[in-house]
Amino acid sequence: MLEVRGLNAGYDFLQVLWDVSLHVSEGEFVALLGPNGAGKTTTLRTIAGLIPPMSGEVFFRGEAIGHLPAYRISRMGISYISESLNLFTNMSVQENLLLGAYAVQDKRKELESLDFVFGLFPRLAERRHQLAGTLSGGERKMLAIARGMMSNPRLLLVDEPSLGLAPNLVQNVFAALQELRQRGVTILLVEQNVNATLEITDRGYVLEQGRIVLEGQSSDLRENEHVRSAYLGL
Amino acid sequence: MKDTANTERNRLSKAWNGVVVGLERIGFSPLGFGLLLIIAILPLIPPFNQEHILRWLIMGAFFAAQAAAFDFTAGYINVVNFGFAAILGLGAYTSAILANKAPFLIVQPGISPWISIWIGALVAGLLGLLLGMLTLRLRGIFAAVMAWFVGIALMGLVRNLPDLTRGALGLHPPSLLETSSNLPYFYIILAMMVVTYIVLRMVTKSHLGLAFKAIGQNIDAARASGINPTKYRVLNFTLSCLFAGWLGGFNAHYLCSLTPQTLMHTSKTVEVLAIAYIGGRGSMWGGMVVAFPFVFFIEYLRSNLQELPGLHLVIYGVLMILVMIFYPDGVAGLYRWIVARVKSRFR
Amino acid sequence: MEGSVRGSIVARIGRSLTAAIVLGASLVAGVAIAIVAGPAQIANAVVTGGMWALMSVGLALVFGVMNIPHFAHGESFMIGAYVSYFVFTPVHEYLKDNPNKFLSTVAPFAGILAAALVGFVLGAVIEKLIFYPLRRRTRAQWVMNAFLLTVGISFIFTNGATLVLGPNFRGIPRYWDVEPLQFLGMRIAVDRVVTFAIAVITLAAFWFFLRRTRTGRAIRAVSQDEVGAQMVGINLNFVHTLTFSLATSMAAMSGACLLFMFQAYPTVGLKPLYFSWYVVMLVGLGNVAGAMVGGFIVALLQMATQQFVGIAWEDVVPTIMMILVLLLAPSGIFGSEVKGVQEQ
Repeated sequence: MLEVRGLNAGYDFLQVLWDVSLHVSEGEFVALLGPNGAGKTTTLRTIAGLIPPMSGEVFFRGEAIGHLPAYRISRMGISYISESLNLFTNMSVQENLLLGAYAVQDKRKELESLDFVFGLFPRLAERRHQLAGTLSGGERKMLAIARGMMSNPRLLLVDEPSLGLAPNLVQNVFAALQELRQRGVTILLVEQNVNATLEITDRGYVLEQGRIVLEGQSSDLRENEHVRSAYLGL
Repeated sequence: MKDTANTERNRLSKAWNGVVVGLERIGFSPLGFGLLLIIAILPLIPPFNQEHILRWLIMGAFFAAQAAAFDFTAGYINVVNFGFAAILGLGAYTSAILANKAPFLIVQPGISPWISIWIGALVAGLLGLLLGMLTLRLRGIFAAVMAWFVGIALMGLVRNLPDLTRGALGLHPPSLLETSSNLPYFYIILAMMVVTYIVLRMVTKSHLGLAFKAIGQNIDAARASGINPTKYRVLNFTLSCLFAGWLGGFNAHYLCSLTPQTLMHTSKTVEVLAIAYIGGRGSMWGGMVVAFPFVFFIEYLRSNLQELPGLHLVIYGVLMILVMIFYPDGVAGLYRWIVARVKSRFR
Repeated sequence: MEGSVRGSIVARIGRSLTAAIVLGASLVAGVAIAIVAGPAQIANAVVTGGMWALMSVGLALVFGVMNIPHFAHGESFMIGAYVSYFVFTPVHEYLKDNPNKFLSTVAPFAGILAAALVGFVLGAVIEKLIFYPLRRRTRAQWVMNAFLLTVGISFIFTNGATLVLGPNFRGIPRYWDVEPLQFLGMRIAVDRVVTFAIAVITLAAFWFFLRRTRTGRAIRAVSQDEVGAQMVGINLNFVHTLTFSLATSMAAMSGACLLFMFQAYPTVGLKPLYFSWYVVMLVGLGNVAGAMVGGFIVALLQMATQQFVGIAWEDVVPTIMMILVLLLAPSGIFGSEVKGVQEQ
């Protein structure tokens, strides 16, 4: 479904990604791991169209999307849940969700998505008229994911959802992702919490200093020497 | 034989280097200094010694000095002083009122214009200081808009206190010199222009200038490096206003005819702004170079194409927009590019 | 952490205090005008207030959504005035010889509508021609650059109008040739009543558009978080163009509405420009709802200044008010939704 080939990308004069290649097949739950500053966020942002690639290609369901603007990529069915969430803080939970379905023309589909999302995150339903800026950290993450789901995306790019969350909330978030995966959503997850991530994902890539250094089945990665010493502290 | 020729050449080139370095210290490239000398001598050569050409040259130098003072703020700390013309006008009117001997106004201090000009500059600088302290701790846009409001208010005040300023009728302050010839005035304004440029340029070359540039580029980084942005911004703004008031004083006692709308209106600020930006923001000399053709253009159009008022301003507006979008470095940037090209060809 | 909490409390006190002063002053002003000058002057203030509200909403929108301090907004007003003049006057001339009740009732609306349409199209053209290229080139120092561009635009339009149309005042004595209305013991010209109604209806419609429609919500989204807006599939360029078109259209409409009061001439936009900026700075940059209220506040204060201090001081009093605001509540009395007031 998603194929990235030889991607070089960065900001202005600073190149961050060097010849990055990865792929995500339909229905897969894939992890992108690595230390701080490795370029994981840059990878997602480039795929999402927020950063223009310097060279290389990104294919989504066969189509080249490397030079498309972000809004077009979003409408094609890729939802990017950023690390900073980018919520509309002065709008209510409901308005944020409705905006998530901005590109959806069908009023009925929009309502269906709303129901689905409220079913997934009942806490949000309770607070549907509350301003997004006044939600707690965990609730905001939920809202960000929920908003991303409103457009019924084919592919979800999730950037460090566990960041800054208490462990029990992290559990909730991961459970939500798993539930989405059950319903057939393809997910590319960037995370620093390697242990938990490798438990729930199918495959994984390890990105270090802008290059892919490892890839494989999550179960294999968990046994990998380098992964164990560098990321699992074993 | 060859040796003495060589040592002669060496000594000459050493002397030349010395001159270049000295000029650079005060902000001039050899070419710039040459241009300055040409302009200084021009009025002595016919046909340039006609009175109306002298008037143009005076106006050119006047705008050039304004452009330098304006760019000192806009090009370095990235704040647009949108009340610039009004502050200049404040200096002009202060000087004019203080020098007044005529019974039209309620006060007749009768101070010599040569002294009142400096007081006008001080008053303008003081306003700049107050305005800066009020607004420069906030985003640049606040200072720009507030300077604009203050400028509007100043113009309104001048218009509405006719006992003090003769309002819209116009004030006729005494002239600096008794002569009716423009020539001495030209050398006065030329000197003022050079002083304005050298002083401000040397400040920008000092550590103050580094601070200004840092604040203008990235205020958070500047603050992190230990620079107090507000303090430096206020300093810069005050200096710029000081010179504006000083130049206003000259205007008052040269033209000897002041009206609030022709001196202090926002459109006058915009003219200086256009010159400074087309010249190249941050260069300080770019606006000065652009000022002279600007004035000639206006005057030429005014005398030849009277049925098309404001055409020159439209052209300048379009030029400014084009420069801002497509070539933000302006004339100065173009010059630098040409020089770099020429240098690389001769390498 | 402590300091910042205290800071925001101080800011909020400053804001409430200033808001109280300003609102109190407006009320006092309103009452004073009513007593001393009569209710007709209040009507004047209210009509002007409606127009300032229309202008200021556009200004607030352009700042909030596009982060552009719009200095050429007065020229939109000017263009609206001219368009309405050139649409209405020929019809008016024709009606002198061929009186027609229906046409004479409808003609002013045609002028005002034409102005709104021209404003809309012009806004789109300007946005695409000038701001879109700048957006593509560089985002560095955007606010100042955009501000300067609007200065250039203003320069071109005012001087261009002088060039093409001449500096003469084109005016009309009134839109509707009917007797003034009697209302609560006041005689109010029909022109004022109708144009006030137009302003209120437009503002209400616009408010509904912003709050309840998909596109309106998208505009608000862009003003709050551009990246977030992209992430949900909003086309930023479209929103920017639409925003600028709407703002220009509303300003042109107010220019057309006030043709009977202000007339049309190249620099007619100066006053509306000043006053809409007073409003926007007073209520807080980018605050659209505040701008609607602020328009009336500033109109009341302006009217009071005219009455009690003298029309010549019209510009001085708002400036003093602004100094107060900047000292005590720089984010405006209703708060600014725009990214960061302190230091940029």
